[in-house]
Amino acid sequence: SCSRAKDVTMPAKLPVNFFSTRSPVIDLFRGQLDYAEQLRQDSEIVLYFFYAPWCGQSIAAREEIEHVASRLSDQVLFVAVNCWWNQGKCRKQKHFFYFPVIHLYHRSFGPIEYKGPMSAVYIEKFVRRVMTPLLYISTRSKLLDFLSNYEPGVVGFFEFNASPQPPGYLTFFTSALHSLKKDYLGTIRFGVVTDKRVAEEISLVHSGSVYLHRHANTSLIYPKDIMNFTAENICKWALENREMLIRWLRPHGGKSLLLNNELKKGPALLIFIPYNPLAEIHPLLDEITKVALEYHKCNKSQAAEPDLQHLGDSDSPAFDSSVTDAHLKFSQTFPIAKYPCCNTVVLPQWHSISRTHNVCELCVNQTLGVKPNKVHVPHCNFLEIEAALDSFYLQEHTFFQVISNTIECSNFLSFYSPFSYYTACCRTVNRHFLSFISSEKTIFQTPKVAFSSHGKKDNTQFSIPHIEDRNCFIPDLNISSMNITGLSCRTNKTLNLYLLDSNLFWIYAERLGASKSTHLKEFAAIVDLKEEVHYVLDQNQSLVGPSLENFIKNFSVLYSPLKRHLVDDPSVHFQEQHVVTEVTTNTFHETVFLSAKNVLLLYYAQWCGFCASLNHIFIQLARLLPPDTFTVARIDVTRNDLPWEFMTDRLPTILFFPHQRKDQSVKFPEDFSVNLPNLLKFILHHSSLSSSEPCTKECLHKESVLQQGHISHLEREIQKLRSEISALHQVHDQLEAQLSEARREEQRLQQQKHTLEKQHKTLQLHSEQLQATYDQKNQELLEMAEKLQELADASENLLKENALLRILVASKGGKLRSKDEIEEPLQSEQTLSEDNDISLPTATGASEEKRIDNIDTIETEHSSGNRTE
Amino acid sequence: GAAMQRFLGSLLCLWALRLPAGTGAAARGLDVASYRERVRAMFYHAYEHYLESAFPYDELRPLTCDGQDTWGSFSLTLIDALDTLLILGNVSEFQRVVNVLQEGVDFDIDVNASVFETNIRVVGGLLSAHLLSRKAGVEVEAGWPCSGPLLRMAEEAARKLLPAFQTPTGMPYGTVNLLHGVNPGETPVTCTAGIGTFIVEFATLSHLTGDPVFEDVARKALKALWKNRSDIGLVGNHIDVITAKWVAQDAGIGAGVDSYFEYLVKGAILLQDKELMSMFLEYNKAIKNYTKFDDWYLWVQMYKGTVSMPVFQSLEAYWPGLQSLIGDVDNAMRTFLNYYTVWKQFGGLPEFYNIPQGYTVDKREGYPLRPELIESAMYLYRATRDPTLLELGRDAVESIEKISKVDCGFATIKDLRDHRLDNRMESFFLAETVKYLYLLFDPDNFIHNDGSDFDVVVTPYGECVLDAGGYIFNTEAHPIDPAALHCCRKRREEQWEVEDLMREFYSRRKTKKFTLKRPPDHGEGENAKDLKDASSEKAGEKRNSKKSSHSLLSCPSQSFNSKLAVLGQVFLDNT
Repeated sequence: SCSRAKDVTMPAKLPVNFFSTRSPVIDLFRGQLDYAEQLRQDSEIVLYFFYAPWCGQSIAAREEIEHVASRLSDQVLFVAVNCWWNQGKCRKQKHFFYFPVIHLYHRSFGPIEYKGPMSAVYIEKFVRRVMTPLLYISTRSKLLDFLSNYEPGVVGFFEFNASPQPPGYLTFFTSALHSLKKDYLGTIRFGVVTDKRVAEEISLVHSGSVYLHRHANTSLIYPKDIMNFTAENICKWALENREMLIRWLRPHGGKSLLLNNELKKGPALLIFIPYNPLAEIHPLLDEITKVALEYHKCNKSQAAEPDLQHLGDSDSPAFDSSVTDAHLKFSQTFPIAKYPCCNTVVLPQWHSISRTHNVCELCVNQTLGVKPNKVHVPHCNFLEIEAALDSFYLQEHTFFQVISNTIECSNFLSFYSPFSYYTACCRTVNRHFLSFISSEKTIFQTPKVAFSSHGKKDNTQFSIPHIEDRNCFIPDLNISSMNITGLSCRTNKTLNLYLLDSNLFWIYAERLGASKSTHLKEFAAIVDLKEEVHYVLDQNQSLVGPSLENFIKNFSVLYSPLKRHLVDDPSVHFQEQHVVTEVTTNTFHETVFLSAKNVLLLYYAQWCGFCASLNHIFIQLARLLPPDTFTVARIDVTRNDLPWEFMTDRLPTILFFPHQRKDQSVKFPEDFSVNLPNLLKFILHHSSLSSSEPCTKECLHKESVLQQGHISHLEREIQKLRSEISALHQVHDQLEAQLSEARREEQRLQQQKHTLEKQHKTLQLHSEQLQATYDQKNQELLEMAEKLQELADASENLLKENALLRILVASKGGKLRSKDEIEEPLQSEQTLSEDNDISLPTATGASEEKRIDNIDTIETEHSSGNRTE
Repeated sequence: GAAMQRFLGSLLCLWALRLPAGTGAAARGLDVASYRERVRAMFYHAYEHYLESAFPYDELRPLTCDGQDTWGSFSLTLIDALDTLLILGNVSEFQRVVNVLQEGVDFDIDVNASVFETNIRVVGGLLSAHLLSRKAGVEVEAGWPCSGPLLRMAEEAARKLLPAFQTPTGMPYGTVNLLHGVNPGETPVTCTAGIGTFIVEFATLSHLTGDPVFEDVARKALKALWKNRSDIGLVGNHIDVITAKWVAQDAGIGAGVDSYFEYLVKGAILLQDKELMSMFLEYNKAIKNYTKFDDWYLWVQMYKGTVSMPVFQSLEAYWPGLQSLIGDVDNAMRTFLNYYTVWKQFGGLPEFYNIPQGYTVDKREGYPLRPELIESAMYLYRATRDPTLLELGRDAVESIEKISKVDCGFATIKDLRDHRLDNRMESFFLAETVKYLYLLFDPDNFIHNDGSDFDVVVTPYGECVLDAGGYIFNTEAHPIDPAALHCCRKRREEQWEVEDLMREFYSRRKTKKFTLKRPPDHGEGENAKDLKDASSEKAGEKRNSKKSSHSLLSCPSQSFNSKLAVLGQVFLDNT
């Protein structure tokens, strides 16, 4: 592979449209932030949707934004900006840690970040709040409507007839916008009153006053003299002093301690209802808030009554047609900002009323209209109450005829003031509960109130039979006669109340045990984090005011009839064919205690690695143990709650419940490894199989059953062995085949070896022969060399002889010349040819060595050689 | 101290800044089935292009549409992706690939290979393919699961790695030549993970084949690391395997160390081994003490415990998943949520992320499509069923498709700041990233089997219960069935004892009094002696673990508040 390709990289793809071109949202997918800023001048309200094209949350929110845009596009400008593309302005200027980010602008005010749920209805609601941060309250009825809401309301009074822009109005307006920055769920509502007469209803006289309405506590007026009148301050003041009787919980989805912080405050009532923020009316929510207001209405019960009536109307069938009527009625009967003082009177037992009622709520009421200073009314004084009590005892006969266990109220006039009357509401409260609250109440006690002085022992004497009684009856009925009003102050098990939108957070309900099949997503549960328990409002009851009230009351009493709710895994169906029986909360008792078998129970969790790796061991165990006397069962404790006594803190835990001694369960010792032999030993050790008593008929029967079991076990074993044998046969065959293959191979190899050996031998022979010939040749060569040497020597001798001969010839020639001059030329020719013959053998010697046998033959050879040449 | 405080201060500020927006869509429920199908399509897009353009090379180069050898020459992507095929349900392709591998892969090659990578990818991949082959309809031989062609291949590959373990300390070299063994002049410096990431594959090999050599070398290496931990109980990043001196002394849970801790836990689970678990728990204590800040884990000096690098590494994201395996679900979720914010910022996890600065670290801005965060999401989803985890899956699918999909596959992101792509597709993308994503969106996959299904296999050695769930993923996401290990070794040892005990169940009078006898030391049979050697030095620790009076091999039950610990909600212990 070529190395240059390693350096190949590719820039990110160019950005493309994120929203469709037909969308009402302007999509600046190249991140043109400057253009986005320009666009802001075109519209009073602008929503910026900063996104990254790869981001799942942005993609999911896209649809929601489009939906909102399609509904509000005529009033709001929707601008989407790709804030990821690194060439774009947005990416260069803004540094976001997450996407999408939604910013809203109201003219120049902004950015207001939206941090609520990414759901169209919630976003739209928020945008609408930004569009109209102040609600214009024109009439008395609108004011009442505004104030009766459970969410805190801030009202500003500004007179517009004096000047077109009354001083402080703009600040107030800005503070309303400002609150949306801080309080992104928009729980504090801001309203403005321009009519003096309407303002008087809430004791506002001066233009520029700001009023924070509270239900359970005294309402407040913004202290201009202490704090500067700025938008931030007003907002801060409202946030700090607002009343949170019931709170929406809207976890944002990221890491958060919201529930941790809220639930650690104490027991909490979580109410799940489907909520549409855009809906005009919320009948169910009204009903719930009615209960919440009641619950928190400490010492001011009377004031609540008309209020509740008003809210109560909302679920009457005629409601739809008479919304405005109801408001009107309300405005007449509801004296705003009236703070009566009330106290609870516990009637002594001997008292005649006590036959039917034993607790009375006694209130001093001022019927006259609103007094200017009522906002800061202190607690009613002791004298007033004492006078009221006296009157009450005088009037007690009015209660005698009443023989119902509902709340009975009666008004009687005060003797001291023509403007006041007293109200006494009496009801029956459970005895021990009574004693419980009476010890709490210290403000007002008549000497005749017997229970308050009683010690704890007395209480238990009274209360024990009650508890047992109650277990026989439906507890709700017994307590329903108790009033919830102000209960939060009378009990030390005070609940914090929370609302959750079941469209968004139903999962919490499911995990607290809400049934998954239900279509109606309404659910209520009390969660006590400290005690690690939770209670659930019976899901067969519809979630309405009374059932909720009873739920709260049942929680509040000292010996609560509520039972800890055990969450059960509904996905498990009892399946017989499973080797290991799957136990759930609901089948626990039946499988473990009611069955006539020995039960081995494994506590496990699917996620726990140590449990999952033991699966096969328990399956094996279940397959081994005789099924008619043993059950191997398991329970997933993450999905199934158990009664406290059966809970375990480590997983896996193995418990054995021996037959006939189910209450004496034993735990498999934790320091032993979990394997088949150990488990079997453990079971053997603790099972009640052995009996040393003498054998009776029954015992014989047992014995035979046992033997029958053994036989069937052995049969199973034999079956297993058979299959094992067949597997072995298979392997045997396989091996046999492999072996014969190997044998054949071996044979073939053997043969090959033989032939090879043969070949080897012949080769060896051959090489020996060759060696021999080589040696021989070598020998011959040596001999030849020797002979050549000899030859050379001989030829040298010959040469010498020749030379000698020549000399001889020459000397003889000299002698002969003188004698015979004619013979001379012939003689010299002969000597020349002789010279040539002698030099030849050295040149051609190699080829003719063999034939040279002795020096004697040389001359004949030479002559023959010469001949061949 | 002051510096640290300032640092922590900036951490807190950081948190104030980060309110992720909204839950809306998630709460209404993600369309799990459609995301599952998108993941499947992702797999085939990459897999088919690998076969077409890159096979038989190790990896596909997605930008140039060709192949290259990276870790050896084993057709690595094919081996790695094999069990993913089965998890996606593609039986026929699995069978085809098994044949291709048997014919085509040769380990007698003159190649310098990473001991660590070859083990986790090749040995691990072959082992899991071997164990899954029956499920995939491959005709197995009679001795399966204790014998088989893929097992023999795995064994062969593993044997090629054994020469690396021939060191004075027992800690292996990082690189080995498959033909010639350790090269002369090979560097003796190996990273911690390269020493401690063998026990899962090697113990499996030893149990299946019966040859103890693999498990022995793996244990010896683990013990050498344990012996060389610092006084405060931490291990560094790189060590000299000859002299046992720490060369890089940064201690953390990420790169260079990660799978060492992972294998201590997974080895403990797979082998029911208390000693491995006690080692991990000791490390866990030190890690919590020294490196954990605000649910992040930083890098510290291994001897002093001072913070050396306040970074989060992409590789560290396996930690929450590991915690959930041992039941520390609350902490796991809290850390996971921290990591998830980083994903939301970039559409991936940068190799290094500077926590106080809230941005990537220079030269470490890449995201090679690593699986770790998704892996943790899968484990945590098993434990909590929290829709937030599916949201991460959704984000991962959207990001990977939008950013890294090219015509020829999926390309590594070279720089998360601008999403520039690199010409690589690591084999773990198909082996791990896609697999974990698919499993996250497929709660009914056989891998998630909780023990309600199982197979009975008749072997020549007797009957075995297999595939009963509890699969242990090696660090390359290759699942190992713990029942198979038991089948090939323990079951054979126990068989006759069990038979004797069963006879007792049917006899009216007990012949022997059966009581549980305390096993020698930790009950690991043949390894007991070794264990004593290693544990003698930590006698004090052992006493401690006895005091806590619960088995090391167990998880704590989930607390009450875990019912409400979903959609980002976390609860703090009062303790």
